[in-house]
Amino acid sequence: MVAGIALSPQARSRAAPGDERRRKLLARAGWSLSAPALIVVAAVTIFPIIFSVILSFTNVNVTGSGFSIGAMTGENYAEIFHASVWRYALVFTVVYTVVTVVIEVVLGTLLALVAARLTKGRGYFMALLLLPWSMITVISAELWGYIYQGTYGVADAIFQAVGLGHPLFLGTPTPAIISMMVADIWKTTPFVGIIVLAGLVMLPQDVFEAAQIDGASGWTTFWQITFPLLRPTLAIATLFRILQAFGLFDLPFVLTGGGPGTSTTSLALLGYKVMFEDVAFGPGAAIATTTTALVLAGCLLFLRVFRAQVGAAKEA
Amino acid sequence: MGAHRESTLGKAMRWATLSVVVVLIAAPLYWLIASSFKTPVNIGASPPQFIPAPATLANYRAAFEHYGFGRYVLNSVIVTLGATVLVLVLGTLAGYAFGRLPLRGVAVVLVILLMISVFPEIAVVPPLYLLLHRIGWLNSYQALIVPYTAFNLPFAVWILRNYFLGIPHEMEEAARVDGASTLRTVWSVILPQALPGLFTAGIFTFTACWTEFLMALTFDSSNSYRTIPVGIALFGSPNVIPFGTIFAAATVAIVPIGILVFVFRKWVVSGLTAGAVKG
Repeated sequence: MVAGIALSPQARSRAAPGDERRRKLLARAGWSLSAPALIVVAAVTIFPIIFSVILSFTNVNVTGSGFSIGAMTGENYAEIFHASVWRYALVFTVVYTVVTVVIEVVLGTLLALVAARLTKGRGYFMALLLLPWSMITVISAELWGYIYQGTYGVADAIFQAVGLGHPLFLGTPTPAIISMMVADIWKTTPFVGIIVLAGLVMLPQDVFEAAQIDGASGWTTFWQITFPLLRPTLAIATLFRILQAFGLFDLPFVLTGGGPGTSTTSLALLGYKVMFEDVAFGPGAAIATTTTALVLAGCLLFLRVFRAQVGAAKEA
Repeated sequence: MGAHRESTLGKAMRWATLSVVVVLIAAPLYWLIASSFKTPVNIGASPPQFIPAPATLANYRAAFEHYGFGRYVLNSVIVTLGATVLVLVLGTLAGYAFGRLPLRGVAVVLVILLMISVFPEIAVVPPLYLLLHRIGWLNSYQALIVPYTAFNLPFAVWILRNYFLGIPHEMEEAARVDGASTLRTVWSVILPQALPGLFTAGIFTFTACWTEFLMALTFDSSNSYRTIPVGIALFGSPNVIPFGTIFAAATVAIVPIGILVFVFRKWVVSGLTAGAVKG
């Protein structure tokens, strides 16, 4: 047997036609094994997305037992592009995404840097960080709704106790947006912290020891060593968060209902309202399609930058 | 001496920061659980009651008896377990094929899967709603099990493929030399090695299905098929939000997941960083 293994490279080259047949057999087996998964994914995501693009160019009528679609038209897009609610939702979603993701990544990184020094209890600390992440968003939205409640909310009590008066947390546009961001940051910063922390503890330790011997300050060490090495991890955490934040739905649905007015209506919430409150599936599909296109474009752009980042990290 | 004093100061600052973080994360969680034991009058007390006195189980009784929360829990369990089992079975088959068999074009398939897994859900809600309406699947368990399976499969396939890829080929060879059949080799040699990957994929799928809201709201909004998030979001009337009942139900919904995540934290963390490791 040992001889058999030792001879195998030679044996393989001699038995090339048989091996090729075996490879083809295995490949066929492989595609059949993966077919169920690929078919389910395609049937529920790729096919519907193509269908959604078609819907977005037609007039959809929902009937009792099904639906009918009319002739192809660009009206749905003209309608949403001209609607100030859509333009506002687009701006709101982009601003919300940028602000929350930047704050979450910065705070999450700080959190990870502090926690990485922990020798005891790091596992428990990580478990605590996981709790907000594993929480149903609807529940955290209800919880923050209670905290921000105008007459008996604990946030109001705290603000009064420190002499900041009676802000209307959810009653006027700007405070409502900020309050919602706080709820989002509470739930998601720990998630970013976990990813960065896990990336941090996997970095080679000898570089840091060398920097310490050289007498580099903490600040220098971070910008010269930690940050460049951590860039791929940070890029992935940021990408995850951008994509999640852009699909924002659960939090405004429960916490503000998109209001006051339409001040916290995200693209996803607007799409939902157009489809299920106005029963306008054509424009709804147009909103869904443009949102998807924007996410896809953002994703590709980010992957491009990210690939450059990884290249830079490998060269370093 | 100076350096020593500085490190003591640094240590103190680190512990202070960590304590603040722990309080900031834990305080809202405490508020949720504590408020679930407040009486209907005390839930609206101003200034708020920091420790529920008297503590009552009335909210839990109301959630289950008046609002029928038990039904929502059952629906969530059926949908979540159904999707998780499907994801693990289909994901293992595909992950094995992509990780260990000589397939051409796997890289392209994997990138497409990755892109699908990041699509916003709103992208598929309009077409899926209409299609489910057409085939009469709205308000059924399969209306959620099938989309949940599809949305969680890409991540599971990635994770499992990485685990299968990491298992040395010598182990398989050795089993084959010993005369084990292919199926037996996979079952008794390969699968046990991929167990951590199965755990990670399972916990992730479970958490994602347990917390999903948009599709559950649009496809299964009738009272008998509502899952926990939909049930809680639609508790009460537009004018009255029964916070006590909501928090009692919420406590029932988050405690099992919290324990699960706490016990399996190692696998959850490794799942969260799987992308970073491979990247």
